[in-house]
Amino acid sequence: MKLEVSGVGKDYLIPVIDSVSFAAEAGEFVCLLGPNGCGKTTLLRIVGGIEPATRGRVMLDGQPVIADQRHQRRVGVVFQEDRLLPWLTLRDNVGLVLTPLELGAAERRATADRYLGLAGLAGFEDYYPGRVSGGMRQRAAIARALVIEPDLLLMDEPFGALDAQNRRIMQNEVRRIWRQTGRTIVFVTHSIEEAVAIGTTLVMLSARPSRVREQIRNDGRVERARLVDDLNTMIMEEVERQQGAGPPGA
Amino acid sequence: MRWRDWTARLHLPTLAVAALIVAVWWALSLRYGAYVLPAPPAVLAGLRDVVRSGEVWTHTGASLYRIAIGFGAAVVVAVLLGLLAFLSRLARGVVHDFLAVLNATSVFVWIVVSIIWFGLSNWAPIFTTFMITLPVVASNVVEGVAGVDRRLLEMGDVYRLSGRRKFTAIVVPSTLPYLVAGMKVGFGLALKVSVVAEIFGVTSGIGYVMNYSREILATQMVFVWALVMIAVMTLTDKLVFDTVSRRLTRWRT
Repeated sequence: MKLEVSGVGKDYLIPVIDSVSFAAEAGEFVCLLGPNGCGKTTLLRIVGGIEPATRGRVMLDGQPVIADQRHQRRVGVVFQEDRLLPWLTLRDNVGLVLTPLELGAAERRATADRYLGLAGLAGFEDYYPGRVSGGMRQRAAIARALVIEPDLLLMDEPFGALDAQNRRIMQNEVRRIWRQTGRTIVFVTHSIEEAVAIGTTLVMLSARPSRVREQIRNDGRVERARLVDDLNTMIMEEVERQQGAGPPGA
Repeated sequence: MRWRDWTARLHLPTLAVAALIVAVWWALSLRYGAYVLPAPPAVLAGLRDVVRSGEVWTHTGASLYRIAIGFGAAVVVAVLLGLLAFLSRLARGVVHDFLAVLNATSVFVWIVVSIIWFGLSNWAPIFTTFMITLPVVASNVVEGVAGVDRRLLEMGDVYRLSGRRKFTAIVVPSTLPYLVAGMKVGFGLALKVSVVAEIFGVTSGIGYVMNYSREILATQMVFVWALVMIAVMTLTDKLVFDTVSRRLTRWRT
C-alpha cells in the first residue's frame, strides 16, 4: 500500500515535529532515522493513526489516516516492548488480534500457528510469554502484527531490547519475512547500521523540531560502508545542533 | 500431598513453641480454675462433644450462611464498582473517596445501626458483614482496574479489538489477582466481624454460641468455638484462596 506523509507536524508543549514529508511505494521498506528525541516514535504513531497530528496529513492509497477513527485498512504495529498479554499463550496472543476479523476458532488457531511458524516459533505455540526469551517474545509480537495481513507494518525500534547477536538474527528474519510477504514497512531505528542493512528507503530526520534532512534510496548503488559513514556524519551534525539549541526556553 | 511436604509445612520449631504454650496454659489453668481458664483436656472433650452432637455444623453453617450472603453481596458490588471505575475516570475518583470513608467506619457503628434497622434478625450480621467487607474488596478491585497496563489497552486499540474483547482479554485478567487478594482479606474479616455481630439478637452461629457459653459459665466451650473459628479460617484460606490464586497465576512460572 502506498504511503504519503505530507507536512506532518506535532506540537506538545514545544514543537517536536516541524514538518515531515516523504512517500513510499507499496512494498517498500522505509527506515526512519534521526537523533534521539527527534520524534521518530511520534511520527510512527501518527502514521499508524494512534495519535493525531497537529498539522499535515497521512494518506494510505489515497485515503487519509485519522487518529481514533475506524477504517478498513489493516495496520500492524510492533512496539518497542512486545506488549504480549502474559496470561495468554503465544498462540492465543496472536489469535486474539484475529477476533475482529470474524474467523472461526479453528481457522484463527491455524492462522496463528502458521504465522508463529513464519516467525520461527513453531513448537512454542503453547508457551506463555514469560517462559520464552525476549527475542522470542519480540518474534511473537511480529507474528501478531503480520497475522492480520496488514497493508502497512509499523515497527518502532523492535529490537532495541535485544543483544547484538539476537538483533542480527532478527534483522535477517524481518528482511526475510518482508521479502516473503511484500508488505509496506515503516521501521524506526536509531541504528544506522541496522537501517542500511534492512531498509530500501532511508529517511533521516533532523534535530527537533524535526524535518526530513535526507531521503536516500538504499538500492546498492552507493557502497554500504560509505552510506553508513555519510549517515553517521549527518546524525552527529544533527545531535550537535539539538544539543547546541539547548533546552527549550533557555 | 507427600509426607515430607507435611513435615515441612508443620515446621518443628513452631510445634515446639505450641507445645510450650499448651504446657503453660495447663499450668495456669490449675492455678486459676476452670471458670477463668479451662484445662486443655476439658476443651478437647468439649470439642469432641460438639462434633459428636453435630452442633459444630449447625452453628458453623449458620455463621457461614450469613457470611456467604453478606460477603457474597460485597464481592458482587465491588466488581460492579470496579466496572464503573473502569468505564469512567470520574466515577473512579468518587468510588475511591467513598471507600476511604467506609474504611474509616468502625464495625460497631454498623452493628448498632443494623440492629436499629433490621432488629434482632439474620439481617443484622449480614448487613454488618457487607458494610465492613465491601471497602476492602472494592478498594482492591478498583486499584486493580486502575493498574491495568495502558500500553496493553493501546495494543488492543491498534488491532481494533472490540470493547468487550478488550475487557475480557486485558482488563479482567489483570484485575483478577487483585480481586482474589481482596476476597482473601475480606473473607477473613467477614468471619471475624459477623461473629461479633452474632452476639446480638440471633440464636445461632459461632458468635451466638460463644456468648451463650459464657453466660452459662461454660468457659471451656468458649475456647472450643474459638478453635472451630480458627479452623474454618485456616482451611478456607489454604484450600480455597491459595488454590484459586495459584490457578490464576499459572502463567507466571
